[in-house]
Amino acid sequence: MKVKINGKVLNAKEGETILQLAKRKKIEIPSLCYKKGFEDLGRCRMCLVEIKNGRRKKIVSSCAYPVKENLEVQTHTEEIIKIRKDIVMLMYLKSPDNKYVQKLAEEYKIDEPKKYIQKINDDCILCGLCVEACRELGTNAISMVQRGSEKKVSTPYDDESKDCIGCGSCAEVCPTDAIKVEETENTRTIWNRKFELVSCKICGKNYTTLETIKYSEKLLGEEIEYICNECKKKITADTFKESFKNIY
Amino acid sequence: MSSNRKILVCCGTGCLANNSYQVYEKFKSLTKEKEITVKPLVKPTGCNGLCEKGPVVKILPDDISYFKVKVEDVEEIIEKTIIKGKIIDRLLYFDTNTKTKITDHRNATFYKNQHKIALRNIGEIDPSKIEDYIERDGYEALKKVLFNFKPEKVLDMVEESYLRGRGGAGFPTGIKWKTCASYDNFPKYVICNGDEGDPGAFMDRSIMEGDPNTVIEGMIICAYAVGSNQGYLYIRDEYELARKNMQIAIDSAREHGYLGKNILGSSLNFDLEIVRGGGAFVCGESSALMASIQGKVGEPRAKYIRSVEKGLWEQPTILNNVETWANIPPILLKGPNWFKKIGVKDNYGTKVFSLVGKVKNTGLVEVPMGSSLRNLVFEIGGGIINDKEFKAVQTGGPSGGCIPKEHLDVNLDFDSLDDIGSMMGSGGVIVMDENTCMVEVARYYMEFLSEESCGKCTTCREGIKLMLDILTNITEGKGTKEDLDLLIDICHTVEKGSLCGLGQTAPNPVKTTIEFFKDEYLEHIENHRCPAGVCKNLTSYHINQDECIGCGICAKKCPVDAISGEPKKAHKIDQNSCITCGECYENCPVDAIKIGGGIVES
Amino acid sequence: MIALENKIEINLKNTEKILEKYPKNKRYTLAMLQDIQRNYEYIPKEAMYEVSKYIESPLNEVYSIATFYKALSLEPKGKFVIKVCNGTACHIRGSDKVLDEIKSSLDIQPGETTEDGLFSVEIVNCVGACALAPVMVINEKYYGNMTKDKVHKVLEKIRRDNNEQQ
Repeated sequence: MKVKINGKVLNAKEGETILQLAKRKKIEIPSLCYKKGFEDLGRCRMCLVEIKNGRRKKIVSSCAYPVKENLEVQTHTEEIIKIRKDIVMLMYLKSPDNKYVQKLAEEYKIDEPKKYIQKINDDCILCGLCVEACRELGTNAISMVQRGSEKKVSTPYDDESKDCIGCGSCAEVCPTDAIKVEETENTRTIWNRKFELVSCKICGKNYTTLETIKYSEKLLGEEIEYICNECKKKITADTFKESFKNIY
Repeated sequence: MSSNRKILVCCGTGCLANNSYQVYEKFKSLTKEKEITVKPLVKPTGCNGLCEKGPVVKILPDDISYFKVKVEDVEEIIEKTIIKGKIIDRLLYFDTNTKTKITDHRNATFYKNQHKIALRNIGEIDPSKIEDYIERDGYEALKKVLFNFKPEKVLDMVEESYLRGRGGAGFPTGIKWKTCASYDNFPKYVICNGDEGDPGAFMDRSIMEGDPNTVIEGMIICAYAVGSNQGYLYIRDEYELARKNMQIAIDSAREHGYLGKNILGSSLNFDLEIVRGGGAFVCGESSALMASIQGKVGEPRAKYIRSVEKGLWEQPTILNNVETWANIPPILLKGPNWFKKIGVKDNYGTKVFSLVGKVKNTGLVEVPMGSSLRNLVFEIGGGIINDKEFKAVQTGGPSGGCIPKEHLDVNLDFDSLDDIGSMMGSGGVIVMDENTCMVEVARYYMEFLSEESCGKCTTCREGIKLMLDILTNITEGKGTKEDLDLLIDICHTVEKGSLCGLGQTAPNPVKTTIEFFKDEYLEHIENHRCPAGVCKNLTSYHINQDECIGCGICAKKCPVDAISGEPKKAHKIDQNSCITCGECYENCPVDAIKIGGGIVES
Repeated sequence: MIALENKIEINLKNTEKILEKYPKNKRYTLAMLQDIQRNYEYIPKEAMYEVSKYIESPLNEVYSIATFYKALSLEPKGKFVIKVCNGTACHIRGSDKVLDEIKSSLDIQPGETTEDGLFSVEIVNCVGACALAPVMVINEKYYGNMTKDKVHKVLEKIRRDNNEQQ
């Protein structure tokens, strides 16, 4: 079907959202809580666009709005840019010391009301990506708790989590580096729990926790060798080289 | 005396809070003991609407209504009225408008102007007895529908009546039902939104407590029309009596064949389940409500695909408000043309309002759509308490706007209220007087919304918090002109950027109070003075030396002995000792005490 | 606040009986938690574990629900829970004075419990008795048209009656 974004006519696929279409066609729409695989959270509100369907104009979140025939989308109207600026300003009030938020603040040239900057910096912008990552890639050990401005991401009772395997997927997807991971020579501490790190038997680098290995073994139903991703790739590449040698 | 003698004792939550249940029990026991030729039936009923004057006791067919009845009065009522047929003057209703005592409450100004459809049975029946409901045309509409109309005809009738949702949005119910019926996707669900969360609104509570069967009947009719077999009643956690009475009604309805398999012998299967809320205002929003029923936290979703198409468990779902459901049986029984004779163009039927705040007659009122606000506040409501100056009403709760004096003659219907930038909302009408601070009202609503926000989206969660912080500063005397500009500025982003109705309408109380009462905001900011005398940091009391008659009442009332003066001579308040409690101001018989500003440390 | 937890014995058999009434479906999480709350007057950690085991759901999902819905409390409450209504009608008719009197009489802030475990006070949203504003509810009993004096008398009476019962 035909959809217009910023005046340009595009071929849209049935069932996709405006944001998915834009990403496919390399049209820039800012989004903080969007990542491939976790696509319609609708939390940050940065991806707002103005649409026209018929006569009426509306502002919608592009990550959740499904494409329709003859939809017209504007991604950077004056009104939209002002809203995005305000959103960044609101985030800055909560996370003034966070370098990622500071970068956004500079980019949007915000004018922050100093009176209302929170005294204690909080890096989390509540995008929810860590919770989704833990649910899909980990063990569903963290979630959003409380509501309103008390909302935060934590383990139950802020306790050392019984379910967490220390895989670090949450920290990897976090756009503001809000999740604290402390590593020593042999340990990784995350979500108030200390994990034992496991080293690659080939290169000797510490690459994951024992619990992650055990969890994967449980899922696969077989034992896993302690080999890190880089070494695994190298082994696979070498295997390919060998088999090509035999062919040619 | 006819054998139909009845004593109806109001047992709605309001009267229960005033010990009406003990009054009911006393009537029951004494009528058994005493020598009465024909024993009257003693029934507990739902809310009669005049909660301030409760407990309310009505005697039929004498048509005598007694108010503020205490347990000690019961024996006298039986002796004098039931046995001897005499009226007890002191228990009669005193109409403040006509300044007369009224025997039959229906003649009181409060009740005369009302037209009851949704509330037609409340106060007349025992809500736990389905027989009472059946006696008053209960389930007749359902019978008519099941055995005389095809589902399409039901949909046509509801559409033709142009019944608009009573939950606040005013969306045409018929269109909603027709759209849902058009999807060939089963199962379909029917939901009653009983999560009445607007502070100051208790219409739905009274209907669920006082006439649960009308809601049930409405839902069954809808199920027949759209093709559903399962319904849910989402009832707020705080409404324990409503849940109890609803469950009794569901159980009785099942016993009588109105719910379950093959209803009344037809091919319709439909049943209802009560789901209890958990103390979250946001669950009144339809997608959050459905998430809650599904066992999740009450976070809304962007509704670009409407819930009539994909709602509960992604199936076609009808969600309507309690009062909307209550209107369905009469519309089907008497026909859409009957309904359209009431109200005004495109706004047919009636609306139930909870009239509360600084008004003399607080309670529940049902009037035709298009009645004037002035009539509601001054006729039915009897005017402002202590005859103070009217300042504004708030309609629509935290999503609505305030209506000032200049719009007192606005008509109470969806479209007229929209036109002046306000909204109908669920029906809460909060009356405010000269001693209500509109800045504080805006702050109060932002505080409420900030706690109730689900926290999912940045604009609502952080935006409302910022608005609350600004308003708190203003009410404490720390506000600046820049603060006011920022407040007005951020409203647009919160409105346009938020995911659901809670965030989108949150700026309304702020926008409307600034629009109509900007001077009051400026007075707080520039002169550090709260003209209403509410914001304690910005209030001081001063006795006007020329007007004071030296009666000394203020000095007696003062809890900290801050007032001094000789009899018949002008008194003075010691500003250093004064704690600005306002007792002197409230009690001065000649209004000689004026409100000055506060002294704020920067 | 003293640890009232050690005063309450978490009887797991009781929790089992409560949960068995429901199918093993996470749809009923909120209802289960409310029944547990009614039984223990709050939700003990152990009971929450039982719920997550029963419905085979990760603990954090149950914990999310327990912290989202404000009808649920994770902290033990007093014997008498005072809910001060701050609905709009009560607010403009002086609910702040009601709260002030409670705060000064009992020396606790909203959300707290007295040292002797007798009273807790909370601010709640509209309880639907607006015509009797300002309203407070103590253990499901409604008290309307409250003033500072009346509040004081009600609290004293509860304390006296409670002492007599001991």
